[in-house]
Amino acid sequence: MDFLTGIFLVYSFIAFYFLFLFVLIYFQNRKEIQKVPPITKNYDISVVITCYNEADTIGKAIDNLAANGYSGLKKIVVVDDCSKDNSWEIIQKYEKKYPDLVMGVQTPKGTGCAAGAKNYGSKFVNTELIAFSDGDSFPEKGSIEKTIGFFDDKKVGAVTSTVLVKNRTNLLLKLQAIEYIVIKFTRKLLEFIGSIYVTPGPLAIYRRSAFEKIGKFDAKNLTEDIEITWRLLYNGYDVKMSVPSKVYSVAPHTFKGWFRQRIRWNKGGVQTMIKYGGSFFRRGMLGAFVLPFFVFSWFLGVFGLGVLIYRLAKAFIVRYLLTTYSVKAHAAILTLKDFNLVPSILIYMGLVLFTLSLTFSLIALLSIREKKEFKRPGVFIFLVYEFFYLLTYPVILVVSAWELLRGRKTWS
Amino acid sequence: MKRKYNVFWQALLLAITFLVFGLYLGITLEQGRITEINDYYIQSEISLIDIMALDNLVETDFLTCEKLRSVNIALLDRVYEEAVLLDEYESAGRITENIKSLHRKYDVLRGYLWINSIKIKDQCSSDFDTLVYFYNYEEEELNKKAEQNVWSKVLYEIKEEKGDDVLLIPIAVDTGLESVNSLVESYNITQFPSIIVNEEVVFEELVEKGVILDLLN
Repeated sequence: MDFLTGIFLVYSFIAFYFLFLFVLIYFQNRKEIQKVPPITKNYDISVVITCYNEADTIGKAIDNLAANGYSGLKKIVVVDDCSKDNSWEIIQKYEKKYPDLVMGVQTPKGTGCAAGAKNYGSKFVNTELIAFSDGDSFPEKGSIEKTIGFFDDKKVGAVTSTVLVKNRTNLLLKLQAIEYIVIKFTRKLLEFIGSIYVTPGPLAIYRRSAFEKIGKFDAKNLTEDIEITWRLLYNGYDVKMSVPSKVYSVAPHTFKGWFRQRIRWNKGGVQTMIKYGGSFFRRGMLGAFVLPFFVFSWFLGVFGLGVLIYRLAKAFIVRYLLTTYSVKAHAAILTLKDFNLVPSILIYMGLVLFTLSLTFSLIALLSIREKKEFKRPGVFIFLVYEFFYLLTYPVILVVSAWELLRGRKTWS
Repeated sequence: MKRKYNVFWQALLLAITFLVFGLYLGITLEQGRITEINDYYIQSEISLIDIMALDNLVETDFLTCEKLRSVNIALLDRVYEEAVLLDEYESAGRITENIKSLHRKYDVLRGYLWINSIKIKDQCSSDFDTLVYFYNYEEEELNKKAEQNVWSKVLYEIKEEKGDDVLLIPIAVDTGLESVNSLVESYNITQFPSIIVNEEVVFEELVEKGVILDLLN
């Protein structure tokens, strides 16, 4: 057996393991996925919405939250992080529209990051629960109420919700819509093993005492929503997810915007891994699963991409040489003999893996019940997602690692 | 809600089962292919012994040179086709290594058949052409690999064009076989891949198909 075959088998084994893990979790808990604990206590809650240059959406976001329908909603703090557009004027207008509910605040000087604005807004909150949302996110009516019951368990530090793409007007957005659904599905499955690793910004609710005890958001981290979740786990809190609580968020509609967002997510992920690197096999599920899972995925992604590039480069060089020699010898450049039609066992294994991952994505897609305005993605979009979109992940990993390495020189 | 951490072990067990089952299937599949080639080889070996017996009859009235020539060509053609199949199975083989020893057996057989063809040519003044192709079985250098690939393509095209009039005999030189090494040394060949046309002209560098065709009868 050659080296590359060995690598392929190791990768296959890991892929089989995680696929089976998720599939088993799904089948063992499928009746629990949509369940939400009943409300036994009407916890008071305040929502902090952060805004930076979101004049187009901030008004609608406030209207949306004001009409969310939870009777314990006491305050909506809208933090303008020194926007350059007229967001602040709009916020002030909405303050007048909802005088008993909305409170507009502006950071003294732009914090330049979501974490800074969120922390600033949290200073104006004194309710038991504190929720965070974005200026371009739209929690569905009743979404807050569907998270409340989880807080009866004193160990629960945060509850996250189902984040979905609001705008699905082009191919990239439709692909992200599928991706968000798969991520949401996976996140819920991770809850069953106590390993939710992120409480995404569009709508996350924290027990304020826990939020303050652990020291609020880390403004130095590029993905404060990942970091704070890890910190909650580190400090022994549980993180839950309410699947029926949905929030629709505006996703990047250009390739550039999408790419930058992904790079930021990955860089933040790596920052978090480094920060909690000492927690391997310690601190409950953070060290037992979340951290190893992240480190493993990151390493395998980068290493796998390296192997792929090596294989492609080699194939390209061989093809170039073959063409050169074929021209020299006046022989056919490409014949049927160049394609080996005898399948190897690796092809069979690859097919099994692909089928399993396809099934997993399909289960995820079928698990979601969305508003009627959002149709289920068609076969074409789904295939593009499976065959092409997912292949961009390792590339983003490598670019973010490279940027992080370059950036680290200036941090020191 | 009680968490079920047993799922980690269950997933591990399933993954191991799938991998082991996959490996078992792979080994079975590859063994099946080896068995198939081995069966072909046994047939070829029987045919070879048959030819050796015929060789002894060549000076009697019981056997014509034409008969000997056609039997030899038929066997070499069959061995060539089996070699193509062997190559395909070899590149699809990932787990087991047994197919390599089959390759060596075939190299010995082809070497022997080549020597036999030379004898037939001498004894019977036959006019068939032989193209012997020496190459490295485990070539690592990409440049050489590409050159070998194009050589085999050129020779395949010639064989397709000339049919039974040409005997194509590919022999790997890096399999540690003494008979093959002696054959290589006898032609003072130092570079691979290389071609011997009708035991007379040696090409150590890639040439156009036409150049070789011009040398054939």
